[in-house]
Amino acid sequence: MADNGGADPVNNNNNTTVALEGTIIKVTVKTPKDKEEIAISEDASVTQFKEEISRRFKAKQDQLVLIFAGKILKDGDSLNQHGIKDGLTVHLVIKTAHKAGDGASSSSSGTTQVGSSSGNSSGPSSAAHPSTVGSTGGPASAPPQTPNLLTGFGGLSSLSSMGMGSANFMELQQQMQSQLMSNPEMLSQIMENPLVQNMMSNPDLMRQMIVANPQMQQLMERNPEISHMLNNPELMRQTMELARNPAMMQEMMRNQDRALSNLESIPGGYNALRRMYTDIQEPMFSAARDQFGNNPFSALGGNSDGGVQPSRTENREPLPNPWGSTNPSEGGGGTGTTGSSTTGSTTPSVSNPLGVNSASLGNGMFSSPGMQSLMQQISENPQLMQNMLSAPYMRSIMQSLAQNPDMASQNPASSPSAGENPAQQLMMQQMLQMFAGGNSSSQTPEVQFQQQLEQLGAMGFINREANLQALIATGGDVNAAIERLLGSQPS
Amino acid sequence: MDKNDTTTYSVQLYIYDLSRGMARNLSPIMLGKQLDGIWHSAIVVYGEEFYFGGVGISSCSPGGTMLGSPDTVVELGNTEVTEEIFMDYLSSLGENTYRGDKYRLFEHNCNTFTNEVAQFLTGRKIPSYITDLPSEVLSTPFGQILRPILDSIHIAPPGGNIINGRHS
Repeated sequence: MADNGGADPVNNNNNTTVALEGTIIKVTVKTPKDKEEIAISEDASVTQFKEEISRRFKAKQDQLVLIFAGKILKDGDSLNQHGIKDGLTVHLVIKTAHKAGDGASSSSSGTTQVGSSSGNSSGPSSAAHPSTVGSTGGPASAPPQTPNLLTGFGGLSSLSSMGMGSANFMELQQQMQSQLMSNPEMLSQIMENPLVQNMMSNPDLMRQMIVANPQMQQLMERNPEISHMLNNPELMRQTMELARNPAMMQEMMRNQDRALSNLESIPGGYNALRRMYTDIQEPMFSAARDQFGNNPFSALGGNSDGGVQPSRTENREPLPNPWGSTNPSEGGGGTGTTGSSTTGSTTPSVSNPLGVNSASLGNGMFSSPGMQSLMQQISENPQLMQNMLSAPYMRSIMQSLAQNPDMASQNPASSPSAGENPAQQLMMQQMLQMFAGGNSSSQTPEVQFQQQLEQLGAMGFINREANLQALIATGGDVNAAIERLLGSQPS
Repeated sequence: MDKNDTTTYSVQLYIYDLSRGMARNLSPIMLGKQLDGIWHSAIVVYGEEFYFGGVGISSCSPGGTMLGSPDTVVELGNTEVTEEIFMDYLSSLGENTYRGDKYRLFEHNCNTFTNEVAQFLTGRKIPSYITDLPSEVLSTPFGQILRPILDSIHIAPPGGNIINGRHS
């Protein structure tokens, strides 16, 4: 063993493999608790190094375990041997006798506990109850975290709870989808949820979502018409309208499908139709389906052809009665259309080329349990929203959002279902106020929309009050306001 | 380097994308820059997975958290450190800088832990795209705005047991 060299740079040691003289290097020694810089000769041995360390860290030498680059430094080695040079870091663990025993036992008990907890976790996740997200399965440590997650800010916290709370997000989506299909109630519930509707009224967002699907992208390459169609905002808007309003969608689809089946009777028409279907609709359909986790071919059997040979004469059958006795559920159940089979799935038709299914759209983004409970919380507690909104950073979000006027007008205020609670309405209006405040230094809406009001008046909309409401709701977009006004009139 | 008859243990890095692909799709829109994922990482050694979360250092069987299987596995190399020493080391860490209440989403998160443990075990760091993530997010205006909120989030994938769990 070497003599104690102390702080003396030139070590006087008996270690045969090391030369006497050596340049001093500074090596950082890091423990879990802290770190120290130790000056040592670069030719020193590990033993000497440990001596120095034991002095500095006030521990016995045989308690020290030094690790560098994944190797344990043994007493007989030299620092040089391990490549320890100036400025590098060596890790130190100070052993305590009883901890060693603990270490072994905790690791073995760890494995047994894990077995049971992973058994637990698979159970609840297959049940997919929304309320238990974030607290399913795992050990007691999980629940205390859940309130933290859900009461935090919306997007990212529910993002993490979405990721955490289910074994597989995609699986969860699929479960929701199948639940949805068997329960039309949920479908209408989701559709009525204002956030869902807000999202769907933003064609840009929808478009991006659709485009982001790699299958869609492939499809778009093969069929440029599809990208054409996606880029046509009018068509997207129409499709969104349809998606938002299930009853209207059923109606339109019925008409379209009926028209299509009339087309069949034209000579060669059937073939044209079939070609159209196989080239365009089918791949799109399966792409859209895949994105939303449905069975891609579930509706092929029961599509508008009805699976039977088309007759060569015009179809004179009366339209099926969606409110007929065989069909207790109303339009929302989705079983009223010709041939369209499964609830919650939608045969693509010409007017609805993507086979946009209101349920699956809502599903895709927002229907995960985490998000749902969050939305519920927000809608139940306008104060929460208020607090969120009054934070200074929120204001800057609003401002940056407001720079994109489309999002601004569509998002917060277009709650088409007028039957929401007044608190929510108030909330929406307040959000708009903030927009107005951010944008145009808080003019009253009336002043702000002066020009648009005049336009509307000139067109014959004499109800100034209604005009103003519509303009506020659409953020000053005259065309959208007109649509709103027309939509609200009894037809 | 001489390797006598010491046993070595292989060390792996399990990387999970917390956003399940959503970050890849939505980050250009939301943040203005492309982030391929929100990365959570864990060290797998001695047949166990170790990670740091809002509850402290936890361990489980590899891939045994609610996150399921990792998106990427990186081989970090081998270590001579025995399990006993490693558990000592973890206990120490768990009492000091890696207690549950020390968790910070941006500065002191699971990836910080993994990086440190990786260096302890093998001398190598974890891939930089993981440790760069917080600064990437913070360099966007949206990230800056969200920062106060994000700071309060603790990520704690359920499915593991806490090491030294006296502080939950």
